[in-house]
Parts: sequence; structure tokens; C-alpha cells
Amino acid sequence: MLAAAGPRRTRTLGQTHALILGLCLLPSTSLAQSPRDIIDQVDRLMRGNSSRGRIEMQIRTKHWERTLQMVAWSLGTEYSLVRVEAPVKEAGTATLKVVDEVWNYLPRVDRTIKIPPSMMMGSWMGSHFTNDDFVKESRLIEDYDIAFADFGGQERASYWDLSLTPHPDAPVVWGRIDYRVRKADLMPVWARYFDEGGALVRTMTFDQYQRMGGRLVPARMTVVPADKPQEVTLVLYQSLEFDIGVDETFFSLRNLRRSAVP
Amino acid sequence: MNDRSLWWRIAWRNLWRNSRRTIITAAALAFGFLSCVVMIGIWYGVIDEMIETGTNLVSGQVQIHAKDYLPERSMHATLGGQGGIEVGTYLDHLETEPYVVAAAPRVYAGGLVSSGEHTVAGIFLGVEPEREARVTRLLASLVEGRLPVPGRRELIMGDEMARTLDVRPGSEIVVVAPAADGSMGNDLYRLTGVLHSGLPTLDGAYVVLPILDLRQLLAMEEGRVHEVALRVSDPWVAPAVAMGAGLMPQGPNGPPIQVRAWTDFRAELAEYARLAFAVNGIVVAIVFGMAIFGVANTLLMSTFERRREFALVRALGTQPRSVAWTVVYESLILGVIALAAGTLITAPVMYWLHEYPIDLSRFTEGFTMAGSAMRPVLRAEYTLDGPVVSAIGLLITSLLAALYPAYRVSRIPPADVLAD
Repeated sequence: MLAAAGPRRTRTLGQTHALILGLCLLPSTSLAQSPRDIIDQVDRLMRGNSSRGRIEMQIRTKHWERTLQMVAWSLGTEYSLVRVEAPVKEAGTATLKVVDEVWNYLPRVDRTIKIPPSMMMGSWMGSHFTNDDFVKESRLIEDYDIAFADFGGQERASYWDLSLTPHPDAPVVWGRIDYRVRKADLMPVWARYFDEGGALVRTMTFDQYQRMGGRLVPARMTVVPADKPQEVTLVLYQSLEFDIGVDETFFSLRNLRRSAVP
Repeated sequence: MNDRSLWWRIAWRNLWRNSRRTIITAAALAFGFLSCVVMIGIWYGVIDEMIETGTNLVSGQVQIHAKDYLPERSMHATLGGQGGIEVGTYLDHLETEPYVVAAAPRVYAGGLVSSGEHTVAGIFLGVEPEREARVTRLLASLVEGRLPVPGRRELIMGDEMARTLDVRPGSEIVVVAPAADGSMGNDLYRLTGVLHSGLPTLDGAYVVLPILDLRQLLAMEEGRVHEVALRVSDPWVAPAVAMGAGLMPQGPNGPPIQVRAWTDFRAELAEYARLAFAVNGIVVAIVFGMAIFGVANTLLMSTFERRREFALVRALGTQPRSVAWTVVYESLILGVIALAAGTLITAPVMYWLHEYPIDLSRFTEGFTMAGSAMRPVLRAEYTLDGPVVSAIGLLITSLLAALYPAYRVSRIPPADVLAD
């Protein structure tokens, strides 16, 4: 349902943020032994880590193009807060995720809406992120069997290829996820999401690896839906700080409504 | 006077030799006719009610969309393509098409509806209240409060949704919907009324507001319409109307459209109605199937009484076939009398059941049948095929009932009978 789209996507962003950080925080010296270890490192290293990032999101669809500027805070995988700063029309719109609950703040009407858990589908602000992908990212090792794979291509030897298949009873929407990670520094290269019928749904590509906040991260992420290849969403990290000293109390409804940033 | 009319006269006179028996037999047939016509009438009433509630509550009987609107219902797939249409002109034009009674424009969107602590997913339906009221009963199902006034950020919703949100007329409602420019449309509205339609989807998920306000929420330009719903003069002409060439908003060279009749988008309803029509034949067959034996029995008795007379005319040289025919004539005349009597008693009963339908609300509060909310009344509908099918059934009955008695009469041995 279209309706669900709005609020959910916001959550997505927080999760995206968390995901990227997660993937990036792997120390390059780490010697991941098994496919599961590679993903597990991501998960483990994320926990307890806080971050703040400035993000630009560019969305191109058949009908419109738009660019959003936003700030995102995260704490582990359970807490995130995202606030839109531009365009002016939507400045102040914010989303808070605490564990499994999501709230949206709408400055235009000065109201906070709690998003019902039944509405975790759709995308945020028309972007090509769906909430579900990212909510579930943090639980990849719980919900998926992870195995080495070989996706071929040039310089095949410099990548870890991982194929993630959900456990039979896992509450996930994907039928399979393929990941390619650079062996040298464990930077993600791309991820492909397939539905239960095995058809490609979307491709996420990571690049522009650079140091931010003292860590190597892919500063750009590109999402292209398989059924609309002319559409795209770009997420660009403009800055990123780690261990910013926020705790759970920062992720409050009061801060959701407040425009001041710590 | 020729030979044949003589046999008709004999048949007529024979009938009145025992007028009481004839009247009772005719009465049986007449009541058979009455029951068939009334049963078919009520059946049609139920079907009409089903089609009426199934199409006139919200869907309309014919729907016009942009070619690419269904099945995805993209908010950008509006009639007339990028430029939109002159909505008023188009609707006025549609209403001049044959059989089209009224046309109403709609804009749809999915979104969130929230009040206080509660938030639910909803379907926003933007309507032009005056036009909508001529096409569907949607706005007439308002049970509390009043209709929203365009331009004042007012809306109404189903009673189930109002209960979930714990709101009543006067309450403030936050609405959120992804807009056409990619932004997240949101605004504060006031609930002015509550609908109850009996359809769970409608009562639980629909928010109805003036089309102008919804366009504003969705950042849509004027002239944008997702759907035009038509009401036609008879539901069964809807498929023909949908085939009409005059429905294109911008002439035959404009952006393509898709037109569907209720028989397409409520195919199960149409199937059910067709099934019900087939049942009519069975009703008639059962009622008159029973009557055949009663009439045959009477004829057997009356012919047996006249064995000597038949023997006599046979002895005078009449062909067995002519004697047999007189029994058939007799039965047919009986049938015609029964039909006349049946029509006389059926007409007022049908009138009564049409004007003063049987109220079953004592037994049930209404129910859903084939996806349509039914009112608990049994109203007989006037139809042509009810009486026609019943009359044919009645006449076939009198014909069939005469066959065996006629055969018996033709086999009377004149000498033996007269010798008794």
C-alpha cells in the first residue's frame, strides 16, 4: 500500500546508515574465516557504536527527481534518528526508530505519528529503499544461511562472494541475497536482492571508498530496481563521525521533534 | 363450421360438464403460475439488490481509467496523460452518451490516517460530492455528522476506521500520503462525518474527501483524475456502454483508456446473477412438474367418465386421433383459463411484494452475499421473463398432462364399451 511508504522509508535510511557503517567497520586486518564470520563481524562491530552522518539522497524516477539533505544518528542497530534538512518544504521531517518501533514527526502539522508495525513495506520519500531490507540487515546472520559463492567476472580472486539464503521460517522478504565484498579491506562492492521466485528485484552498488571519521567507508551507494532500470536512488555520505557519545536517551520523542542537533 | 372447431367446441363443453372440478384444476395451475412468477420476481429482486449494492455503493457500473492505471494504480497514470483533462467538460460529455445516467470523477491515494496515539493505513478517495451522489450511494451511507465541504480540509471515514482511531465528528485527523512530486504530503484535517456501508473494506479503510483537497494533499494538478465512474440506466447494458466509442476523453487520437463494466470488475457478481437466472428454469420445472400429475389425474378421471360417449363417436366412424385431440384441446383450454386466472391473481400479489417488500430485519441485520452488502428485505422485481417462462411452463404442463389421457381415449374399443 502506498500509504505505508512514507514513514517506512525513513526507517530505512537509519538502517542504511547502520548497514554501511557495519560493513565498513570491519578492520582490514581481520581474517574472516567463514562466510558467516564475515557478516558476523559486521554485526558485532556495529553494536554499541554510535555515529552521526550527513547524507545526501538523490532520487530519480520516471516522474520526478529530487534531492534530500539529511542528518542521521545511530546507536548500534536498534536506535536511529534521521532528520531532513532540505528541501525547505520538508525540513524538520524526522523519523525515529527504537528497537521495533518507528515514529514520524511532521513539522507542517506539528504532529508525531507512530507507524503501526503492520506497515513495514514501501519506500521513503519515493526512494528505492524498502524498509524491510534494512530492518533485516542487522539480523542477517540470524535469518540467513551464508555460504561462499562464485559470481564470476574479472578479478574474481580479489572478492569474497557470499550467497545468503533465508532459513525456512525466517521472517524475511527476500528469497536470496548475493553479496560481493573486497577481500583486501572487506569493503562491500555490491549486493543483489532476489525474490522468492529467484528473480532479481534490485541491485545495490557501493563505491567511492574514502576515509571518513577515521574509517574507510563507501561514500556512495546506488540502488537500482530491476523492474525500472532507468530509476535510481543515490545515497552520498558527506561526512561521518563515530563514537559521538550519545546513548539511548538521545533517541527520544522529544529529540524527534526538536530541530537542534547535538 | 369446420371439423376442427367442432372438436374445440366439444372440448369446451366437456370442461364445463363438471365445472367445480375444472375450476379446482385450473386453480391449481393458476397458483403454480403465481408461485413461479413470485419466486422468480423475488429471485430477481435479490439479484438486483446484489448488483445494485455491489455496483452502486462505490464502484459504479462502468469505470474509465487511463490504459496504464491498472493493475498497479500508479498515481501518475491519470486520464488524458501528462496534461490531464478538462474534467467538467468530459463528464458533461459522458452524460450525453446513450444509457449513461451520471458520471463522477475520482482520485485515489494510499496513506496514513492518524489521530492521537492511533495510526492506521487508509485509502483516500477524492470525490466531487454532487456528482458522486448521482452515481453511487457512497455519500448516502453517512450515518453520523455531515459531508465534507470542499476547500476546508474536511473528511469523512468508515465507522470501523473511526472506531479504530477512536475519533468522532469534530476530531482532528492527521493525513499522510506520498505525493506526486515525491514529497510526503501531510496535513491536518477535521472529521465531519462517519460512513457505514456494511462492506468491511470500505468501513475499515476508506477516507472520503473532496477531490480538490486530495489533489492539494498529493500535489496533483487540476485536471488530474484516476477514475471516472458511470451509472447506467440498466446494469445489464453496462457491457455495451463500456464498448462505446464515445468515452475517450480527448477523442480517438487521445491517450488510450481502459473501460470496464461491472461484469468485468465484479465478474463473480455477474456469474452469480447468471447462475441465478438458470435457477429460474429449475423452479418452473419443479412447480409445474408436480402440477402435471395432478392435471393428468383429473383428465384421466373425466375421460373415464365419458368412456361411453367416446366409444359412441368412435362407433360412428370418428378417427381415434380426432377423439384424442379433443382431450388435448380440453387440457389446453384449461391451461389458458388457468393462465388468465393466474395473471389476475398474480398481478396484485406482485404489486404488493414490489411496493411493500417483505421485511426480514426481524431475523437478520443484513448480510454480505457475493461481496455485496444486502439489506434484509425481499422485494419482488417486475420482469418480463418471469411471467413468460411461467406461462410457457403452464401451457407445456397442460399439453404434457393431456398426452396419456388422450392416448387412453384413442385406444377405447367402441364395441366392448358400448356393450357394457
